[in-house]
Formats: sequence, structure tokens, C-alpha cells
Amino acid sequence: MNDRRHPSKWAKGLLEYFLRPDYADEILGDITEAYYWRVEEEGKFKARLKFYIEVIRSLRPVNLKSFYHLSLNTMIFRNYLKIAFRTLIKRKSTSFINIFGLSVGVAAFTFIFLYTYQIFTFDDHHENKDRIFLAYKERITPDGTQATYDTWMPLKDRLKSDYTQVEYAARYYTSDASIMKNNRYLEESIVYTDSDLFKIFTFPVIQGNTAKMFPTKNSVVLSKELALKYFDTQDAVGEHLEIFLQDEDTTMRYQVSAVISNHPDNASMRPSIIIPMESIPVYPELANRWNGSFLETYVLLKDQKDALDLEADFPNLIESIWDTETRANTNFKLLPFDEVFDTFFGDSSNARTLLGIGLGILLIAIINFMNLSTAQATQRAKEIGLRKVLGAFQGQLRTQFITESFVMSFIASILGLLIVIFTTPQFNQFFDVTISLNQFSSPQLIGGFALLITLLGILSGSYPALYLSSIGAIEVLRQKLGMGGTSSFRNTLVVIQFAIALFLIASTIIVSRQINYMTGKDMGFESDGVLVISASPRSFTDRESGQARLNTFKTELKHKSYVSDISSSRAVPTSWSGSFTFVRPNDWEGDPLRMRYTYVDADFFDIYNIPVKYGVNFLPDTEGDQRSSVILNEAAMNAFKFSPNDENIIILGRDTRVNVIGIVEDFHFETLQNEVAPTLIFHRVSENPVAHNSITLKMDMSNLVERIEEIEAMWNELGSTQEFTYSFMEDRVAALYEEENRYLGMVGLFSVISIMIACLGLYGLTLFIIEKRRKEISIRKVLGAEIKTILGMIFTDFTRWIAIAFVISVPFAIYFLSEWLESYYYRVSISWITFILALVIVLTLVILTVGYQSLKAASANPVKYLKDE
Amino acid sequence: MNLQLGTLEEMILIILLMKEETYGVEIAKEYKHQLSQSISLPAIHVVLKRLEKKGFVNSRLGAPTPERGGKGKRLYQATNKGYEIAQDLQHRRNEIWKTIPKLNFSLA
Repeated sequence: MNDRRHPSKWAKGLLEYFLRPDYADEILGDITEAYYWRVEEEGKFKARLKFYIEVIRSLRPVNLKSFYHLSLNTMIFRNYLKIAFRTLIKRKSTSFINIFGLSVGVAAFTFIFLYTYQIFTFDDHHENKDRIFLAYKERITPDGTQATYDTWMPLKDRLKSDYTQVEYAARYYTSDASIMKNNRYLEESIVYTDSDLFKIFTFPVIQGNTAKMFPTKNSVVLSKELALKYFDTQDAVGEHLEIFLQDEDTTMRYQVSAVISNHPDNASMRPSIIIPMESIPVYPELANRWNGSFLETYVLLKDQKDALDLEADFPNLIESIWDTETRANTNFKLLPFDEVFDTFFGDSSNARTLLGIGLGILLIAIINFMNLSTAQATQRAKEIGLRKVLGAFQGQLRTQFITESFVMSFIASILGLLIVIFTTPQFNQFFDVTISLNQFSSPQLIGGFALLITLLGILSGSYPALYLSSIGAIEVLRQKLGMGGTSSFRNTLVVIQFAIALFLIASTIIVSRQINYMTGKDMGFESDGVLVISASPRSFTDRESGQARLNTFKTELKHKSYVSDISSSRAVPTSWSGSFTFVRPNDWEGDPLRMRYTYVDADFFDIYNIPVKYGVNFLPDTEGDQRSSVILNEAAMNAFKFSPNDENIIILGRDTRVNVIGIVEDFHFETLQNEVAPTLIFHRVSENPVAHNSITLKMDMSNLVERIEEIEAMWNELGSTQEFTYSFMEDRVAALYEEENRYLGMVGLFSVISIMIACLGLYGLTLFIIEKRRKEISIRKVLGAEIKTILGMIFTDFTRWIAIAFVISVPFAIYFLSEWLESYYYRVSISWITFILALVIVLTLVILTVGYQSLKAASANPVKYLKDE
Repeated sequence: MNLQLGTLEEMILIILLMKEETYGVEIAKEYKHQLSQSISLPAIHVVLKRLEKKGFVNSRLGAPTPERGGKGKRLYQATNKGYEIAQDLQHRRNEIWKTIPKLNFSLA
């Protein structure tokens, strides 16, 4: 009973703030008294409940303060704002360091956020994303499992009929087609699918009947882009398209049934011409074929969790379609759609790292503000002291300093936003990305920035506000105050800044070393002066004459003085074969291996300068070679455990025997991220009509432009539906590392920014430290200290901080970088030189930053600073 | 000025007349005692302010007590005008009551 404190401090404050002062005591008193009365009558819980209800109900308009009374405080706020702006203007160098650092930090963070947002929201526009799965299979081989994502024609119907959990299922097959426009064929990518596709994925329909996307077998759905391309209007429903289907070798007439909107930049599925699977002429023959897998099957489940049930039952499905043996070496699985990005497109962990870097940069800028604000306490002390003497409470001073940090973060965020707006085109161009602030609606942007300003204001302002407001008036008046802030706290912050900077620099060095290693390593084939032309007889409306014309083209090229060699092949290094077959060596006990294969002509190894290590190369124009011989790469030889000098025989499928006539050295036909995979290389003469997709030229690279033009003119005479498409092997190799180079560029750019901001802060801090120690330095000089000694004294502190930062950052860097390197099969090792180099860079920058001011201080005339005492 | 009284206003005015001088919490207690029905304090406060505006009650500030978290109470007292209107209401109600034919209900 003695303890009759107020039931809730919070409620008391609320009422006291909002209620008319002449009512407040009565209402609050009555409610409080009633509370204690009710505690005895009805128990604590009910009393408390009623208490809160009454508090809320007391806040009626008649009881409230008038707005005028509430807003009395704006007067003092106006004063805070005025002082904040005056301080900004008065301390130009500090304000510049703070605002410049923070605005660059905000800009960098915004860029990173926009870029990573695209990756994190990849494919998020599909409303049913959580329930969409891609059916795929894993082959169990002795070396582990191999996932492949191609499935069979009848699978879709089987899944729909066998599993009630499957709501919709659609096949998806991408191929090339040629489309007639103004009597000319243009090459396009086309998608064969089922109408369920539009139920599974979200493709907003601009024109046409959403209920029935494919009203007839010969309907086609176009993206807006394609509708504009072919009909100059998005209102294309009802129009007709002549499509030459390259896989079918026939031309078909389709009618546009709907137009869908263009795809967002961060969409994995971007079909632009969509036709029903049933429309292809051979469909009836293929519809029930389980012996060829070539298309993707997507399903929409009723519930995300159903995926587990389905996967558990898939072995039975496999057995019912094939047999127990297939069941034993095949896993059938469902890939959640949100793993598609990491599986096929990239690595979202890089995006996470970048986001971390962005936050690190912001942290460095925030630390600058905290350090500089507390360091300049001496200069603000008189103001603080005076305010206190005149009756300011600590809370009011706190509000004042928080206001100042808000003004600063507001200005910096707006500047940062302007930087982003004006440099987005350059950023996009430099990194070859498509980020834009337009991804967000204005309320989202304004809200986001308001949040950022608030967070920055609070984070950077809270410590200085606490510290500055606690300065005692007496100490100030007695002039006892030294440099503000506990220096150990400030030193810790500086150490954090430099640890982040060191980490980023070390990362940049490692990433660039790895990329240099990959681009510099001998790929095992020659790429100098090698030109690749896409040339397939399939892109001719008449395939047989197309093949003849291609052969003429090749003969003509061979006679050009600047062409020294020419070769035809199915695939070329950098975009190697994706076809697999089952193969086992003769007398092999175990399961067959699943191995990729490709076709080349007899000149292929010469033109790419790939040495045949054992055995012989294919003989040109030998029919027998084509059916009964194979060349392996060394990886395949090792996989078969062949000894190179034996007469080795492999067995394809059930019983096709093929002689291994040669072994070539391993060459890197894809990025060095992957280990060289075993490959079977078969021979097809260059005249073979179906095998080859590319022509490789070895040519003299002088007068290149004219020569390419000449070849293009020759190509255009052939009458292919495909435009002249060529690339240099060197560019193709470089393109393999496009993603890594972009990552390196970003990490590099942002570490430069981070170290720049950190050095700016350090520069500001040096000014204050020297200011504070000026008398000490002068006295030391008078007593005979040399400039060298004084410089040493100043540098000792900085060196110690950087040493600690180094010790902290190295383990983090080693941990994160080895994780990053893990994903590369061929990789550099992390050597200590990297860290020493990072340390030297940081030390050099610090000495440059601190040096000039220190030297100036050390060489100044001591009399100047001692005469006034 | 509206000199009509609502039911709750009338009830609280009668309690005030009964108590001579009282304040919010006591009114709530008395209300509960008389009508076996609880009432919230904000409701009482609103009625008191309204009665005061109409001139039926006066108020003055009382001394703070520990139960009230150190807050003073506002003590209310009915005015003559308040007494008259309450009496008038009782009187009129009695007149009307008398006109109700007794037989209609007592036989039921």
C-alpha cells in the first residue's frame, strides 16, 4: 500500500503532453485513484485493462490542448535549425567532409541497392512464384550426380494425371525460327509451349482474350516488343505471321491471339513469340515418346509443400515409364523456381557481398560524422555551457544535436540522390547493367529515402548528442575541457573504418588476381586470329540447297589470301556442346557414364592448335572415320581409366562399338570456374548437312574491317534467314568472364570510394588532433625536439590504429575470400603478399593524408602558439 | 444554451445533490452502488464538464493525495440552478407518471 506509484509512466506522459493543463491533473488523478480502487475490487488485471481504456478514452477533443499550445516548441526548433545551418557554414571543412563523404556513401549505397535489388527480386513478378517448380532429373554416375533440366514430351500430361497436387503443367521449348517481314525472313527465338504456361507464370496480357490464350492450334502470342516490330502496333490481335520453323523445316501460318507486355529486366523467362506445342506437324509422332528429352517442364503445385510428396513418389513414376534399372540411376526432382537464378544465371552471394560493401561505406561515412562532431566539442563547448547556464536541460541539448545530424543527413541524402540521378547512365554503361530509380514508385522512393535520412541521422547523431549534451557547464567555464569524446571510443571507430577499407582493398586484389589468372591462363587452344561465323544449314528455307551454298561459301573463303585455315564444327570452345550420351568402355562392369559429345571436322584440332597427344587425328573425308572412330580428351581418358597406348574401344548406347583413335590434351572449352569435363569428339566431314553449326576461320587480322565487310557481302548472297553473325575467339573468351569482371569493377570502385571517405575523415581528425596538441608540439620544439621526432609522435598513433585494423580485417578477409574462391575449380591461392600490399596502400594513403598537416604543424614557429600565455 | 438534461447527466446531477461536494472517482463508486452498473471515468468527466458549462455545477481544486499519484482532485458542487432543474424534472416526471392508467398493468 505504501508503494503507490503511478500505474504507467508512459500513460502519464502521454496524458500530460496532450491534455489541457487545467484538466490534466483531475483526469489523471481520477483515473489513477480509480485504478487502485479497482485493483481491490476487481483484481489487478481488470483494473489495468480498464486503466488503459480510460487513458485512451480520455483523449477526447474537448480535453486536448489546442494546437497552439502543442506547437509552442517549434520556436525552439527553429532556433536549433538556425544554429545547425550556422554551424554547417562556420565549419566549412568539417561540414564538407561530412556531407561529401556521406553523400558519396549514400550514392554508392543506392547504386548497390538498386543493382542487388534486381538480383534479389529476380522473377518476383510471377505471382505464384513460390508454387512454381521446374521438373528435372539427376543421373547417378560413379563420380556423383549430374543434373540436367531437359525432360520428355509426355511428362507434362503424366504429372497432371498422376498427381492431384499439380494444378497446371506446361512444356517449354525454345528454338530458332525465321519470320517473314516485307518479303524477307528475320531470325527470331520462338517458344513452343502449352496454354497452362499463362496460368503458371504471370505474363500480363495487353490485348486479347485472357481466358483462352491459344483459341486455335495455329495461334501465336507475341510480346509487345515483337508486335511493334512486325505490325507497328501493339494492337496486333487477328494479324497473321508466316513462321519458318527451323526444327521442322516448314513454314506455317499463325494468327496472333494475344499480346503480352514486355518482360522486366530481371526476368529469367522472356518468351517473345509463343506458339502451341501441338501446332508443330510432327507433334502426333512425338506426343508419346519417352526416349528423347529436350524440353523443360514447369508445374504449378496447389501447395508449395506438395513438392516433397511428389519427389517422394517420383521413383515409382520412373519405374512405371522405364524400368527398375533406370529407376536406380535416375533421381527425378523439382527445382523451386526461386533457385533458378542461382542455378542458371549467376550467384546471388556476390550480390549479398556487394550489399555488405554498401553498408560498410555508409558506416565509414557515419563514423566520420561521429568522430568529427565529438572532436570539435571544444569549439562547441562555450555554446553548450552558455545554453546550460541559461537553463537548457540535457534532453533539450540532445534534441538540438540530433537536429543538427538530421540536417546533415538530409542534405547529404538529397545530394547522394542527385549523384545517383545524374550518373545512372554512366554507371549502367560502365557495368553493362540496367538499373534505374524508375523501378520504384514515387511513394516507395520517398519512403525509402525518408527512412534512410532518419537512420543516418539517428546513427550518426546519437553518440555526439549524448556526449556533447553531457559536457558540464562548470568545466566549460573553467576552461578545463580538453579534446572532446573519450578518445578510446573514437580510436575504435577509426580502427573499424580502416578495417573495412583494408578488407575491401584485399578483396579487390584477390578478385582481380583470380580474374587475371583465368584470363591469362593458357586455355589449351589458340584464339589469336580465330574468327567464328554462325552457319547452319537449318537457317535456310531450303535445307539441301542451303548446305550446298554453305559449302560454296567455305570454298570461296578458303581461296581468300587472308584465310589460312577453315573448319566446320558443331560447337566451338566457349560455347561447347550440351549434348550427352551414355557410354562405357569395352569390358566395363559398372554402369555406363553419361558424357558430353560433339562433332568436328578433320581440321578442327589444327585450327585451334590443340595437340593430339596420343594416337592420330581424324583423316579428312573418310567415311569410315565418321561412324567408327572417336577422339577423347584426357579427362575422358582418365574417366574411362584407359591407358593411352592400348587399343581402346568404347560402347555407345547398347552395343555400338567405336574405336578410340586419339587422345587430345585437355583444353578449357568453358570458364575456368569449372573443371575440364570428359568429352567424346566424333568426326563429321564438313559437308555433312546436319552436324555443324559454326565455321571457324584462321585469318590474317590486318585490314580487318574491309575483310569482315567482304565476308559479310559473301554471306548475304547465300540467302540465309540468319543475319551475318560473327565473333572473334578472343572476345568470346573474354566474355566468359563478363560477370566476374563486372563484380571486380564494382568491388574495385566501391573500395576506392570507401578508402577515399575514410581518408577524408582521417584528414579532418588530424586537423583537430594537431590543433589540440599545438602547444605540446611548440613546447617540445622549444625544448629542442626535431621535426622528425614530432612527426614520429603524430604518426605513432595512426600506425597503431592501422596495425590493429590490419589484425582484425585479415581473418575476415581470409574467410570470405576463400569462400568466394571455392566456387572456382582453377583458382589462385590467397597469399600474404595480398595483405601486405593492401596494408602498404592504406599506409601510403594515410601518410599522404596526415603528412602535410603534420609537417606544417611540426615545422611551424613555436613562438606563434606560445605567445598568448 | 441548451438547458435540457440527458439521462446520464441527470443521474450524475442527482448524485452530486446527494453528496453535497464530491469528485470523479466517488461519483463512479456511488453510481455503481446505486445502479449496480459500472461507468468509466472519461464518461463522467465529459458529463461534469457539460454540466459545468450549463451552469448546474461549480467546481474547485482540492488537495492532492497519494492514491492519485500526487495529483489534485477537482471537487464539484451542484448550484441552485442545478437543484431547481433536477427538482423540476422529478416533479414533471411524477405528474406524467400519475396519468398512467393503473388497471392496464396490475391485472396482468
